[in-house]
Amino acid sequence: MSLNRFNQQADPIVRLSDISKRFPNGTLALDQVNLEIPRGQLLCLIGLSGSGKSTLLRHVNGLHKPTSGSVDVMGMRVSDASNKDLREVRRHVGFVFQQFGLINRATCLENVLSGSLGRLNWPRFGVRSYPKQLRRLAFDHLDRVGLADQAYQRADTLSGGQMQRVAIARSLMQEPQMLLADEPVASLDPESSGQVLELLLKIAKEENMTVICTLHQVELAMGWAHRIVGLRSGKVVLDRSAIGLDQRDVMDVYQRVDVTGAPTSGEDVPTSISNS
Amino acid sequence: MVDQRRLSPPFTARNVKLLIVFVGYICATVWSWLYIHMSFGGLFGGISDVLNLLARMLPPDFYQLSGIISATIETLWMALLGTTIAVLISFPLSFGAAKNTTPNAFVFALCRGIITLTRAIPDLIFAAIFVRAFGIGPLAGILALGLHSIGMIGKMFADALENADAMPREASESTGASKWQAIFSSILPQATPTMIGTALYRLDINVRASAVLGLVGAGGIGFIIQSALRSLDYPSALAAVSVIFIVILAIEFFSSRVRASILGERSASVVVVRGQSDRAVRRTRKDRTLLVDAVTMRSLVPPMTSDRKSRIISVWVYVIMLAVALGTINMPIFSSFAYFDDAWRIVTQLVPPDFSTARSELITGMSESIAIAFISTTLGLFIAIPLGLLSSRNIVVRKVVFVGTRSMLVVLRGIPELIIAVLFVSAMGLGPVPGTLALTLVTAFFMSKLIADTFEEVDPSPREAIFATGATRIQELFGSVLPQAMPALVSQILYMLDVNLRSSTVLGIVGGGGIGFLLLGSIRVFEFGTTGAVVLSIFVVVYAIELIGSWVRGVLEKAN
Repeated sequence: MSLNRFNQQADPIVRLSDISKRFPNGTLALDQVNLEIPRGQLLCLIGLSGSGKSTLLRHVNGLHKPTSGSVDVMGMRVSDASNKDLREVRRHVGFVFQQFGLINRATCLENVLSGSLGRLNWPRFGVRSYPKQLRRLAFDHLDRVGLADQAYQRADTLSGGQMQRVAIARSLMQEPQMLLADEPVASLDPESSGQVLELLLKIAKEENMTVICTLHQVELAMGWAHRIVGLRSGKVVLDRSAIGLDQRDVMDVYQRVDVTGAPTSGEDVPTSISNS
Repeated sequence: MVDQRRLSPPFTARNVKLLIVFVGYICATVWSWLYIHMSFGGLFGGISDVLNLLARMLPPDFYQLSGIISATIETLWMALLGTTIAVLISFPLSFGAAKNTTPNAFVFALCRGIITLTRAIPDLIFAAIFVRAFGIGPLAGILALGLHSIGMIGKMFADALENADAMPREASESTGASKWQAIFSSILPQATPTMIGTALYRLDINVRASAVLGLVGAGGIGFIIQSALRSLDYPSALAAVSVIFIVILAIEFFSSRVRASILGERSASVVVVRGQSDRAVRRTRKDRTLLVDAVTMRSLVPPMTSDRKSRIISVWVYVIMLAVALGTINMPIFSSFAYFDDAWRIVTQLVPPDFSTARSELITGMSESIAIAFISTTLGLFIAIPLGLLSSRNIVVRKVVFVGTRSMLVVLRGIPELIIAVLFVSAMGLGPVPGTLALTLVTAFFMSKLIADTFEEVDPSPREAIFATGATRIQELFGSVLPQAMPALVSQILYMLDVNLRSSTVLGIVGGGGIGFLLLGSIRVFEFGTTGAVVLSIFVVVYAIELIGSWVRGVLEKAN
């Protein structure tokens, strides 16, 4: 049951009103979070492990339901949408996971194709069960992430960075309005981290996608995000434009004590970020 | 502050529970030994009787060879059809019986219930009942295998679904896929290799099982063996046994090869690996060309690599075999429909079960079956431990020894247990002792493999550490191998007990003691109320052992 009608053009694209989430084991993962995300924004969520970043992300596409408060995405009240409405929203929201979520035994092409399931009616099994036109599209998306040559290789023969690129191609199959990325580079080595993140951002900008990304590496976050939101114990403790953000503000989120005692200089902070 | 250091382990709840289990097991074995009047004298006497019989069987006499061969082929087709039926029923059932795919708790309980029930009732009992309903012939055997195999296949299928990584499914659902779309395209592909492996493995078991279904008139080679033994034509019986034995070994070899090629992660990449044979290198090169062509031409169908080709060929081989089986087997499917109300009438007579008519036989029979199961598990264990040690490559360092022991065990495991039981009964006369002896041997052959596998999985680094302290090989065995293997060993003993309990309920069908005698008798004289009572009792006992087993495993897994 949705209060509002689904509207792809809705702006802000996401509105979290006062959401709290208590898991059955008693943990309070989110504590009265309010957040509005305008269309086209690149938002980065930072915070320690267990601070509620992933939980927040999973509320946006309805993988989790809040204990209280409401989540609206593209005009749809996700927090109490029916399964059918929920699938409608998810169809337009890509999700990139830390552990990629690929089927190891299946070929890359099949993995990418599975991103189109939301548009199809029946269960599918195997590359040949998808329409030809979608297979062509899947090839195009693999091309875009630079892996068309690996189309018929099994996903588990790829490196971590390649796997994550396949996962990105899979979410492109959805032609999403918005991309949610949950620690997309946490399982990768520094070099492929950079490549994957760059690819993600390039595509997001080309498609004018809204991106919500959780990241551990603060430096990476400050390099590209429009806006940085910090969570600590399920509470928003930082919500600012990335411009002029001091590294100390960020460190506050982690409640880290600088052991060297030397104050971090403001010059380290990147400033060349264009806000749309 | 009092410094009280414990010099002996504390009586934690876990240790007390395990102690109770241990003492209980010993008591049960001692009671069993007394109950069926076992004695070591009787055991060794029995062994010499069996050797005498074997001497009288030699040399095998193949004068019935054409009959034996056609019965063997019938046996194979029965196994194939029975397994196919079981897979067809188990597949939908497993989605209801897996926690991650079941629609609701009711369907889950229902599907799990069906699986447990079909597993608890031995195939031979199904066969005996179906022979009554559909008449003597392979159809009864096929249906029996089909129903009983659901128990294992359904459970393994459901486990395969449950073991699938949940991440791809979450990923799939977050693209807006419906529940069943996500299950089919992300859970099922992960489970299919295990499913195919399970089906092949069960085919293996069913070839063995269908060899003995003839003992109750359900077609196949068992009938020839039974009648040869009845007419004291031992050399001919040995001929039939050796033919089916060789066929069983051949099937096992073939199916383990196929399973290895499906399940074994044959390098999925197309890189030539050092040490590959010339043929493998050529195949890999060809696959690589195919793959490159496919992606450069943007082919929308997967390229016909060698892996894919062999998969397609396997499917066709199976389809053709199925067609041949359906065409050649003497199975009047359509006229049999007329008998379905006979079958239904029997089913309705099974309930309500009648416990009063044969009350004392029921109690003695059940007690005897339980006693046989305990003794054969315990005795089998004593034989299996040395055999298991001898066949583990990391314990016996001499290759000749472990390879020799392993191959001997593989061969011995090929003999169906009821055939061993039939031989022992022929040699030693009716009663629980020959049955126990037969089951003991089967337990030993089977368990030594489980034990060897467990020993080989033991982490080598603590072993090294113990050796480094200057310990002897025996000290090391007790100091690091056994403690590591203990939980697995205990659950294997429980598993064997469970298996033996099921087996001991059918031994009576060939005169090997236990409840099977009453079971077959009640079917023969159309006292289906009693049959129902027996089946229910077996189910209850088997289920109880299973519950105890899973409780003990739970206790074992706890840290303290």
